Amino acid sequence: MNDLRAPIGFFFSLLGLILVGMAIFSPGARAPLTTTNVNLEAGGAILAFGAIMLWLARKSF
Amino acid sequence: MTLAPVDYLILALYFAFVLGIGWLVKRKVNTSADFLTSSRSVPVWITSLAFIAANLGAQEVIGMCASGAKYGIMTAHFYWLGAVPAMLFVGVFMMPFYYGSRARSVPEYLKLRFDEKTRGLNALTFAVMTVFSSGISMYALGLLFQLVLGWSFTQSVLLSAAIVLIYTFLGGLTSAIYNEVLQFFLIVLGFAPLAILATAKAGGWSGIMSRLQPVMTHSWRYVGSSSSNPMGVEVFGLVAGLGFVLSFGYWCTDFLVVQRAMAADSMSAARRTPLIAAFPKMVMPFIVILPGIAALALSQMSVGYALPLKDTGGPDYDQALTTLMAQFYPSGLLGVGLTALMASFMSGMAGNVTAFNTVFTFDIYQGYIRKDAPDKHYLWVGRMTTIAGVVLSIGTAYLARHFNNIMDFLQLVFGFVNAPLFATFLLGMFWKRATGHGAFTGLLSGTAAAAATHGLTVAEGKGGWLGATLHHFPSTMAQNFWIAIFAWTTCLVVTTAVSLATKAKAESELHNLVYGITEIPHEPGVPWYKRPGPLAVTVAIVLIALNLIFW
Repeated sequence: MNDLRAPIGFFFSLLGLILVGMAIFSPGARAPLTTTNVNLEAGGAILAFGAIMLWLARKSF
Repeated sequence: MTLAPVDYLILALYFAFVLGIGWLVKRKVNTSADFLTSSRSVPVWITSLAFIAANLGAQEVIGMCASGAKYGIMTAHFYWLGAVPAMLFVGVFMMPFYYGSRARSVPEYLKLRFDEKTRGLNALTFAVMTVFSSGISMYALGLLFQLVLGWSFTQSVLLSAAIVLIYTFLGGLTSAIYNEVLQFFLIVLGFAPLAILATAKAGGWSGIMSRLQPVMTHSWRYVGSSSSNPMGVEVFGLVAGLGFVLSFGYWCTDFLVVQRAMAADSMSAARRTPLIAAFPKMVMPFIVILPGIAALALSQMSVGYALPLKDTGGPDYDQALTTLMAQFYPSGLLGVGLTALMASFMSGMAGNVTAFNTVFTFDIYQGYIRKDAPDKHYLWVGRMTTIAGVVLSIGTAYLARHFNNIMDFLQLVFGFVNAPLFATFLLGMFWKRATGHGAFTGLLSGTAAAAATHGLTVAEGKGGWLGATLHHFPSTMAQNFWIAIFAWTTCLVVTTAVSLATKAKAESELHNLVYGITEIPHEPGVPWYKRPGPLAVTVAIVLIALNLIFW
């Protein structure tokens, strides 16, 4: 494997998708001190990071 | 804390990826050099992130959060006074000798620069310490998951050990390094939300400042005397002990981190590794320390959160991180947070295992047991040592369970050994006249001085085992800083004196090992951010700004 950005991109994209999926599946899920859908917010950020990594690794595909 | 299926899914995804990366790397590993040192092939962005991730074990993540709750922003000194200046120093001034000497390990540099006995002493102490470190990491993981999730200690330890063993056995140092980068991003992305959510709930930094005593939110203002701050330190002990000796002693000589820089694909990359790593390192206090400070502030607001208490009645600061996660992370993000915690344990463990197998194979086995075997043999030894290292670590984890002072003990030993070692390296790298006899006696006397200081002083009920008590320190932290100062000074003085009385190596034998007889490459036409000097200056400017902002 020559480019580490690809596996990292895949991992965080999948992770982001899982979190966003969870946010859509249980939009009312809250922890004791949270007021917003943090799964959506964090999941979105993680997915964005994964996508950026994949984009940076595009030359190795 | 109970986990939902999605949390287990996230953990499983992480395990699958670290194993997969190990498997993919295996194809690149054909020689002992590939397996144990990555044959100088790793790009600089990877080595720099691995450089900090290898050190960023769960004890740091949990411990820094705990210290944030206990000592406030003064904890940031470990980063903004300790680690970063040391990283600048090792990158700019010491990497040319580590990388230029073509040594495959820190002990091997000592053999080239000094002699066999100095190398042997360092290799042996390092090998023992690193196995203990790895085991204690496992112990802490087992304990935490037992406490927080109700998992069996044995199952957690064996599961994490098995996964680390598989990927380090397959791909060696390269797979450890690649996984460390993954673990770094996971740690940042897994804990940053917690820092943001907890701080926002506490009213932002200004809200936190208004709710806590000023000493908790100012890093330098209350350092004038040891009685004005909860750490019990005064400015000289802090700057010389932590800022200089302890941090430089670790970051400049510990093979665990130096190994990652030595795996870089060029001299410039090796020098820039700690410098580039310094940028995320400077940001880490906001991710690991800030939640702890926020936790303290939250426990004083009526939001229904309180720091958990120990059986003895005081707050259990070590539980700050996990209790915060329970308050702010719903299922989903909770899985990410726990996986990030698991990842930080595993990066610490794998880092120690890959440093151990290199030092054992090249310095101890090839150095003393079998010198001239074909390379295939050493590759095989490297792999066997990896298994042995993990097994020994598991044993140490159980030992720590029986003797729970082991963690404190290991901290002590690190101080005893690393502090004098830094003096040895300073003299070795910058003074042609330093000799092997000097280095060896210096190291031994420095360690003895450390032990003596600990035995003759008392702090928080610890130490003072040599009978007489000459001084009482207000805290164990202050005691550790002063032990380091005495150990370093003793080693420096003894090494200098004995070197002057013994014969030095001829200059022809010291090429690329000492300042003055080493080519430090200058690359014209390279942009400023690819040159060590300007990068270091940039880091220094940001560092000073951070210290001033949180003064």
